[in-house]
Amino acid sequence: MRDTIVIGAGLAGLMGALALAEAGRRPLLLSKGQGATHWTGGTIDVWGDTEGNDLREVLRSLPASQPDHTYARVGVEGLEAAIDRFRALVEAANYPYVGSLERNTLLPTAIGALRPAAFFPVTMAAGDVRQADEMLIAGFHELRDFYPPLAADNLQAQGVAARGVYLTLPPIKRSLEFTTRTFAFLFDDPGFREQIGEQLRKERGSATRIGLPAVLGLKDPVGAMRDLERITGAQIFEIPTLPPSIPGMRLFQIFRNAIAHVGGRLQVGSEVLRGIGEDGRLTTVYSEAAAREQEHRANYFLLATGGIAGGGIRTDHTGRVWETALGLPLRAPQSRAEWFEPRFLAEHGHPIYRAGIATDDGLRPLDAHDHRVYDNVVVAGSLLTGSDPIPERCYSGLALATGWHAGQLLRIED
Amino acid sequence: MTTNIPHHDHIELSIEHSLDHCIKCNICSSACPVSAVTDRFPGPKYVGPQAQRFRHEQQPSPDESVDYCSGCRVCNQVCPTGVRIAELNARARGKIIEDRGLPLRNALIARSGLMGQLGCGPHAPLANFAFKNSAFRWSLEQIMGIARAAPLPTYSTYSFRSWFKRQSQNSEPRPKATKQVAYFHGCATNYYEPHVGQAAIAVLERNGYEVLLPEQNCCGLPLLSNGAFPAAQRYHTSNVEKMLPYVKRGIPIVGTSTSCTLTLKEEAPEILGLHSPEVRLIAENTFDIFEFLRLLYERGELNTDFKPVDRTLPYHPPCQLRAHRVGRPALDILELVPGLHLNESTADCCGIAGTYGYKIEKYQIGMDVGAPLFDFVRSSGSDLAVCDSETCRWQITHGTGVPTQHPIEILAAAYGV
Repeated sequence: MRDTIVIGAGLAGLMGALALAEAGRRPLLLSKGQGATHWTGGTIDVWGDTEGNDLREVLRSLPASQPDHTYARVGVEGLEAAIDRFRALVEAANYPYVGSLERNTLLPTAIGALRPAAFFPVTMAAGDVRQADEMLIAGFHELRDFYPPLAADNLQAQGVAARGVYLTLPPIKRSLEFTTRTFAFLFDDPGFREQIGEQLRKERGSATRIGLPAVLGLKDPVGAMRDLERITGAQIFEIPTLPPSIPGMRLFQIFRNAIAHVGGRLQVGSEVLRGIGEDGRLTTVYSEAAAREQEHRANYFLLATGGIAGGGIRTDHTGRVWETALGLPLRAPQSRAEWFEPRFLAEHGHPIYRAGIATDDGLRPLDAHDHRVYDNVVVAGSLLTGSDPIPERCYSGLALATGWHAGQLLRIED
Repeated sequence: MTTNIPHHDHIELSIEHSLDHCIKCNICSSACPVSAVTDRFPGPKYVGPQAQRFRHEQQPSPDESVDYCSGCRVCNQVCPTGVRIAELNARARGKIIEDRGLPLRNALIARSGLMGQLGCGPHAPLANFAFKNSAFRWSLEQIMGIARAAPLPTYSTYSFRSWFKRQSQNSEPRPKATKQVAYFHGCATNYYEPHVGQAAIAVLERNGYEVLLPEQNCCGLPLLSNGAFPAAQRYHTSNVEKMLPYVKRGIPIVGTSTSCTLTLKEEAPEILGLHSPEVRLIAENTFDIFEFLRLLYERGELNTDFKPVDRTLPYHPPCQLRAHRVGRPALDILELVPGLHLNESTADCCGIAGTYGYKIEKYQIGMDVGAPLFDFVRSSGSDLAVCDSETCRWQITHGTGVPTQHPIEILAAAYGV
């Protein structure tokens, strides 16, 4: 029914699907389950630089040391184009991102570590630890894995003035099970914001900014932030939590609506199991379904199922490493003995996490002899070999850049 | 009583695997429409893969809150690692019922065939009068625990099967069609909404199919979702026997109730652990009607001679359709109709979930679950909504006052029939 298929619902697949939908190609996006959006903090991490370097310069100099790095495929211009489109998208949804490629901003994590990010929702902006203002970190006993005193102590130890407090949950209908979503629903209610705002105002002391777990609602987080700022007189910022990530869920909703608005379709919960092709072209993919596989014939395919962490690559104890959707050839360590460096926190990461698909300049998959496998398939995101997004801290930057670029490459076909 | 679940069948193994695939990311808990609105259900992760570690055949179930799972399967859909949470929950409920027996109320509302026979026919006005009567509904709630406000459907004065028999006797003999399908109408079409079956037959005939009507009984899904496994198994076995001759002759089974077709395809085989070649054959040859029409379209065989239908309608893909994991076949076909535009809801569930929302202790949960969908339908301003599943249609109308049709009725109208 659809001539273009995108596989994977992380940032790369969503950006690719958006590009294709906007070009009128009406893509169908298939994914096994919810994509990586729900697992990530919602920041755009371009490169893990903490020295204040201009990221564009860092990326421009990258090919000198790593000529095959994934960023070299898209270039700084490709990255900027993707970020421009992304920012326009979220801005239009009243969820603007701020930041810059000139240098990373350091934002506090839920345990008070400092995390570099190039772009981030405006609701996280006041967390910039390079500003000198004192912070109050506030949370709830009911929300697991967010401990304000711990975060504040760790920030304090790194020279950031911070204090942590627990708030008292006003009487609500819920008493047992609290997830990030429970709190997001609560913050969608202006009445709840008023009550929390009052508590924060009393607790604020000399702090001029207040950090809260990133649960300020799914409907209008910027409105929630403004409400709390009005009541407390302090700046309010969100701190990403452990999954499920509310900022990630916001992003997914924004993408889903935008893609559907221009004729794309998302089919979450349909894992692509295999594909068949002929004469160097992929013709059909099959997704898991009740009683029998669903067949999808299409002319163009964008593969963005993720790397080892995202489920696009699997490994087993024998040392086998394989690509799950289409069985494409991977570049990966030959034997299991070569997967890991001796030290867990090895500076340049572990070789196995560089496993991925090698591509030509058009992001089309190559086999071990550098021959193109399919002419009508492009690959994006962390399924690509050429980088290790863990130590390089570039998962979301690479996903945006390669997803958008891959979508551009396919949209001009025909 | 035992349910004859083989110890190492497919789903049993995948349940074992499931436990290790769960990475506790809580994405299911953040998608579950039930845990979104009530404390009574702690979420799919807890009652599914987590509680499963504490379940043992010889021991009582550790977690009764699993009974508050509505079976909508949103958890399965969003799970990034493929854990079959809804099946875990269904089986856990089955174990509770096996240990303690099925409450009378559930035994009754789970037998939709029986409920249908009760009021369908010339005496339907009487039955409808009773079921619309507030005193009667109040007593039904007090005695049986069936929520008095819940949207019981309106009985038809004739059954679909009786209409089918009459019209095949009375109508002019048609030129013999070379292609045949066997129609699975389900209880709702037979006793409450014969017009859905009539529309389906009209559409299939427009596409050159002769529609055969096999003997059939309730698919058993209401029994399955109430944990009454032995009865559900008898129902399914009986349907398999009745439809096997058709499938063996190469005639596909096509249904308009997405929950019945899902039960034939997957729910009954997997939850009950039935994997005989006959069960398999029925499963592989059963199609939701729009899935079937889409296959025709993909083969270039669909009659696309549609009249324009200048309407924009809100459409809700029901949970039981999404659980087929075949996308949005009704949208794929209806977008071929000139002038027709369907706006898809992104709401997770209407809340009724089969028999769930009829139970007094769950009625309000169902209404709260459905609230975002009701908002969507109401704010569309449309005087008609579209949904593939019968109980969902009744719930949408109950929650919004907006009449709701099966998409096959819209398609029949586009064919001018």
